[in-house]
Amino acid sequence: MNPVVRNWKQATLLIVLAFYTAFAAGPLFWTATMSLRTTTEIAHSPYALPEILHFHKFAEAWVDSSYNVYFSNSVKVVLSAVVIVTLIGGMAAHCFARYRFPLRRVLYFTVFSTIIFPPQITIMALFQIMVDYRLYNTLTGLTLAYVAFQLPITVYILESFFARIPSDLYDAARMDGYSEWRIFWRVSLPVALPALSTTIILNTILLWNEFLYAVVLITDESMHTLPLGIQKFMGDRMEDIGMIATGLMIAIVPVVIIYVFFSEKLIQGMTAGAVK
Amino acid sequence: MREAASTISKPVLPPVDPSEWTSTSMSPVHASAMKAPMQGSRDLSRPMGAIVGFLLPALTIYVAFTAYPVVRTLYNSLHHVRPARSDVYVGLENYIGLWGDEFFWKAVTNTLAWAATAPVFEQMLAILLALALYARIPGARFFRIMWFTPVLMSFVVVGIIWMWIFNYDWGVVNSLLRGVGLDGWARSWLGDPTTALPALIFVTTWMWTGFNMVVLLAALHSLPSEVLEAAELDNCSWMKKLWFVIIPLIRPTIMNLVVLSFVGKMKVFDLVWIMTKGGPLWSTETVSTYVYKRAFEWNTFDLGYPCAIASVWFFIVLAGVLLLSILFRQRGKLEY
Repeated sequence: MNPVVRNWKQATLLIVLAFYTAFAAGPLFWTATMSLRTTTEIAHSPYALPEILHFHKFAEAWVDSSYNVYFSNSVKVVLSAVVIVTLIGGMAAHCFARYRFPLRRVLYFTVFSTIIFPPQITIMALFQIMVDYRLYNTLTGLTLAYVAFQLPITVYILESFFARIPSDLYDAARMDGYSEWRIFWRVSLPVALPALSTTIILNTILLWNEFLYAVVLITDESMHTLPLGIQKFMGDRMEDIGMIATGLMIAIVPVVIIYVFFSEKLIQGMTAGAVK
Repeated sequence: MREAASTISKPVLPPVDPSEWTSTSMSPVHASAMKAPMQGSRDLSRPMGAIVGFLLPALTIYVAFTAYPVVRTLYNSLHHVRPARSDVYVGLENYIGLWGDEFFWKAVTNTLAWAATAPVFEQMLAILLALALYARIPGARFFRIMWFTPVLMSFVVVGIIWMWIFNYDWGVVNSLLRGVGLDGWARSWLGDPTTALPALIFVTTWMWTGFNMVVLLAALHSLPSEVLEAAELDNCSWMKKLWFVIIPLIRPTIMNLVVLSFVGKMKVFDLVWIMTKGGPLWSTETVSTYVYKRAFEWNTFDLGYPCAIASVWFFIVLAGVLLLSILFRQRGKLEY
């Protein structure tokens, strides 16, 4: 092809892609600018860049609007759910991948198939169960629901990885007299570190952003996770665009920080849940 | 026999190769191409004690918080379930009630419209973008990272941002329209029953296109380059190459993405709940928001009826997924 024509084509393509980039990332950027501006400034000109960086708004939201409570609830629930689901999901995945036993396929398929279940099929009964066991409106109840929610995908990703670890490793470990439990800790988990980090990232992001289970299982404001807190704040102060934007950024910033450092790993984690 | 066991246990999606995960290139899709050399085999030993020990925690959680709730929902759907009163068996009354419930049908229509259109938009846009990056455009890595950002935010965050974007007075959409002199087109996008649902569908497309693009791009990179070069030599037109060579080759990936997107739209709740609560005039009511309203918002104090809706919807989603996978498979058979 004629190089001039090719350059023109490439330039056009680049312009189109730049427009799409503005469209895809613009809303996040816009929110970030608004989070540093006051509502009065925003009302004056919604699209201007911040002239003075009002970082104190973050402190205000954090202390005065109980974002510190929402944030720490989110951290508690997400961290404990991710630790538990990684551990018990890893154990189950190791078992499905490395041993042969009756009903193995049936059990695996049963757990796996719940990936496509709409949450409505469990959510109301889950509400009843949590009330029955006095776990309603507690972070423990929400954590358990989250563990169950992320279990199938975790088992799925880890099983396909464990199944492909060469069995020589396991044979060697058995020769050395390792117990099955020790094999899991000393062989499966260390070798599967890349897959583990993938499921950890995937589960962290999905649960950090989760809303439906939280809204059904939590009512007490002191138990609110970030998405619930944001929704409440939004309901209370509809017009205070600047502060709402600050609240949104408090929820986004941890994810953005992870993304800045581990973008490839994070993309891999998010898509792993989808593709394989 | 052992081979068979390992393939059947992974029903929809191809397996992963550990070596893939250690590399920094993110192309999980092409793992299947190189799985052969590292095929691990299952251990023949059956230490039943260890097996039970490994499975017990996961299965306990699964039974308590997934299997039992599903059964209980199905049970509820045949009863009147009121707080502090014992359940009354009503047979199929709840299901029969669904027939005459116009709000339910409105919700079904809206949700199906969403699930039928959004996956198509997402895939079409995503494949074009993926091809653009595949053509070794400068800055491809930057584009990919930027396009992926929407999916990192929660629906709550996305919902609030897009409420501002669609705001009548100062939202981006209306400001742009007024800026180019199309003042007449400016409207309250979320307040108008005719535009509210399309606006929400637009938001989910915005949110998920980048995600689909990344997955498709990984699939493209896993294609053998000889095939594409051969198509080049045959002087295929650009569109022909896309339609007859590229799309058939990455069909399994497309199928997974369509199924995933379909399931996602069939259960969409958060975005609607934040942005419109199903309004105006039921124009954005989805099955999920209607179930939530019947269960927790309207003071009907009956979980039986919403459970009936959830049960019906559960089977419709399963049927939809089955139908999609059959459709994709048959096309495969016809073409090869």
